[in-house]
Amino acid sequence: MDLNLFFVAGVGKSCLLLQFTDKRFQPVHDLTIGVEFGARMITIDNKPIKLQIWDTAGQESFRSITRSYYRGAAGALLHSSFRRETFNHLASWLEDARQHANANMTIMLIGNKCDLAHRRAVSTEEGEQFAKEHGLIFMEASAKTAQNVEEAFIKTAGTIYKKIQDGVFDVSNESYGIKVGYGGIPGPSGGRDGTSSQAGGCCS
Amino acid sequence: MHETEIHDLSDDADYAASQQQGSASIMRSDSGRQSSSSEPDGAEVVYSKDNVTIHPTQFASERISGRLKLIKQGSSLFMTWIPYKGQSSNARLSEKDRNLYTIRAVPFTEVRSVRRHTPALGWQYIIVVLSSGLAFPPLYFYNGGVKEFLATIKQHVFLVRSAEDANVFLINDFENPLQRTLSSLELPRAVSVGSGHSTSISVGESPLVETQERSNRNVRDGRLSVSEYSGRPRQKSQDPARDLSIHVLEKFSLVTKFARETTSQIFGEAHTNGFGAIEKRRYNQSSIDQPQKVSNSVEKVPDEAPIASDPLEKISCMKHNLGEEAATDVGNFELINCEEFDKLALVWGKPRQPALGPEEWVTFLDSEGRITDSKALRKRIFYGGVEHILRKEVWAFLLGYHAYDSTYAEREYFRSLKKSEYETIKNQWQSISPEQAKRFTKFRERKGLIDKDVVRTDRSLSFYDGDDNPNVNLLRDILLTYSFYNFDLGYCQGMSDLLSPILFVMGDESESFWCFVSLMERLGPNFNRDQNGMHTQLFAISKLVELLDSPLHNYFKQHDCLNYFFCFRWVLIQFKREFEYEKTMRLWEVLWTHYLSEHLHLYVCVAILKRYRNKIMGEQMDFDTLLKFINELSGQIELDAVLRDAEALCICAGENGAACIPPGTPPSLPIDNGLWYPQQDDVL
Repeated sequence: MDLNLFFVAGVGKSCLLLQFTDKRFQPVHDLTIGVEFGARMITIDNKPIKLQIWDTAGQESFRSITRSYYRGAAGALLHSSFRRETFNHLASWLEDARQHANANMTIMLIGNKCDLAHRRAVSTEEGEQFAKEHGLIFMEASAKTAQNVEEAFIKTAGTIYKKIQDGVFDVSNESYGIKVGYGGIPGPSGGRDGTSSQAGGCCS
Repeated sequence: MHETEIHDLSDDADYAASQQQGSASIMRSDSGRQSSSSEPDGAEVVYSKDNVTIHPTQFASERISGRLKLIKQGSSLFMTWIPYKGQSSNARLSEKDRNLYTIRAVPFTEVRSVRRHTPALGWQYIIVVLSSGLAFPPLYFYNGGVKEFLATIKQHVFLVRSAEDANVFLINDFENPLQRTLSSLELPRAVSVGSGHSTSISVGESPLVETQERSNRNVRDGRLSVSEYSGRPRQKSQDPARDLSIHVLEKFSLVTKFARETTSQIFGEAHTNGFGAIEKRRYNQSSIDQPQKVSNSVEKVPDEAPIASDPLEKISCMKHNLGEEAATDVGNFELINCEEFDKLALVWGKPRQPALGPEEWVTFLDSEGRITDSKALRKRIFYGGVEHILRKEVWAFLLGYHAYDSTYAEREYFRSLKKSEYETIKNQWQSISPEQAKRFTKFRERKGLIDKDVVRTDRSLSFYDGDDNPNVNLLRDILLTYSFYNFDLGYCQGMSDLLSPILFVMGDESESFWCFVSLMERLGPNFNRDQNGMHTQLFAISKLVELLDSPLHNYFKQHDCLNYFFCFRWVLIQFKREFEYEKTMRLWEVLWTHYLSEHLHLYVCVAILKRYRNKIMGEQMDFDTLLKFINELSGQIELDAVLRDAEALCICAGENGAACIPPGTPPSLPIDNGLWYPQQDDVL
């Protein structure tokens, strides 16, 4: 199964992504123009799942372009340094994502633990509160120490996986950012496995 | 007049020989009753020549001989070439092969030109080029008669000898939009003619005629979108389109010949072994990857073999052809469509030159330092770029910071003026006290964003690496100063990518700033809040692809990719992330010449897409996959080849291409100097 995750907002996404895909920390990474991609295989319920993560340009000016990428995403990771000025942008981003992505998109808010405590204006509690209010999963992670990085991605994927099993997603619709391969997970739209012979071994 | 034309031929040895031999049955309209009896009613054979032969391969044993005829019906003239039956000199040539090459009643309304070749050794031959740009393989006249052939054509349709090349005979009908589809082929001094149109053809066996008509229609449909753009009459007296037009004809015919060979071979295999045979060819590409193979049949061969970077691409393209072939009919000439052209024919631009060096550079300057012929300079740089050592000096002109007609002294003075002006602007933000900054959110936000981005710009380059690198500080200062100089536009991600090479080249802070300002005069709209500059350019790319590659356009349309967002990064920062640093600088200076078009970068986009079109379509990429694929092309694209393609495409598209690009599209200066950058800052 392929899952598309969408990665937005905040400086340091690329570092976090690199930590997840390559298990290394690279403090210096050219800023993202447009969109970049990372991918990794994970396992949930003994099922191999390919997570494909879209790492998008941070600046809001590009929103009219990056918006078009939302449609193909099953989930989103929202990264915030938890400084007041950037934190305030989260709500506006969320509104946009909800408007342009599918309604069942799973969104995780990742607080950046890298940022030194004294530079943070937003507390963990406030972050949790925000997440709760907006129906997000919340976690704090550090690209530098790798703490919680793995967990954040896998938890997001796990939530999506569960939604698929619960029949929230119609996996036959690729616009949900999910592609199910042969022998994929049994979903409510069962019987699809092997019915299609599309390239890439996906019965989209 | 009749007499004169024939008299004209008296110097033709071939003609004389054929007259003497009497082996050729030459029928004129007034004396062709004998042979016209074998043709359907109303059709008249006005010329017939035996032993006209094609050379599908280099091997003498594989030549195919046949009879070439000109047939007149009503006011229309048709050409046929039918290979002899049962004269199989070689078992490898199947009936299918013969069919493949057969030319069935091609109306001259669809012929653009005939080129006569007279090699020092061997037979005279002709290449017939259709108005669609396609060409038949060379027809060798074993029994002579080329001039006679041309003279006969001249009696029935408007034939004019090209002013550029006495061996090229143009059959022009500019009333016919098809004739204008490839505007690069436009040749001067051609006169419009009222030659008959191919309405119904009753020559030859009717099933063949039907097929012919059907495939003609296919061609038209496939090119309809192109001809739509031929509205404006062109007035082009200037090279290089003219220089290239003949060259282009050559390349087209060369390519078509390859295509034919390949298609024929593939078909042969596929026919006998099933489609699996195609897979085998993946490892056996030599026959199409060696243009030298037919170098004996055309005078010029591309200076460089076209790049077959990915054998898979070629395969998928062949599959495509094969599919189309199966859908219509075996051996129809029209089936050899533009597919192969992408790989083979696009490399007809002038070869890239070495970079402009110091010795040559001084020849462009007069004693006081003025550039006497800026166009010649721009042309020179367009074809080769400049050596790095000269960039500091030359870029200032290309970017419009210095005027071409300024003297050394004037530039010196200008620099000092600009330096103090820069210091003044820089001082505006430098003098903001911490207390003031506390109450100046916009400033803090901008500074914060720039601070974060400059340390993420080209840090792998030694010029910008390491902690507390002074050059990184310069990047920051210049960007922050720019955000005060153009407060409405402010700072936007991507600007640091554009500034980085400029600072690297100019070194000096103030000079870099002003060169960056000049560049932003052109590219500023790329960073507009509403992204209108980007949208305009992406839209222009979509129109250009529609014009230059309608199958690819249709593919994108079907797959909901017409927003061309996958070209976003290319356009936003001028391919900065697609090439290594040195190559980027080379590309930029070429783009900045504005030599062929100020929008050459859009043609570069089309050129890259065309290079990978077969892979894109063959693998049925959807938007996501395509986006990822394009992203991953970074570092893989061959700059020189793409520049040559872009040049060729730009010339090909001509004014129709220019018409695809809305006025004011960056880097054109805005049409109206009103509020171009009304936007708010944002920080994330």
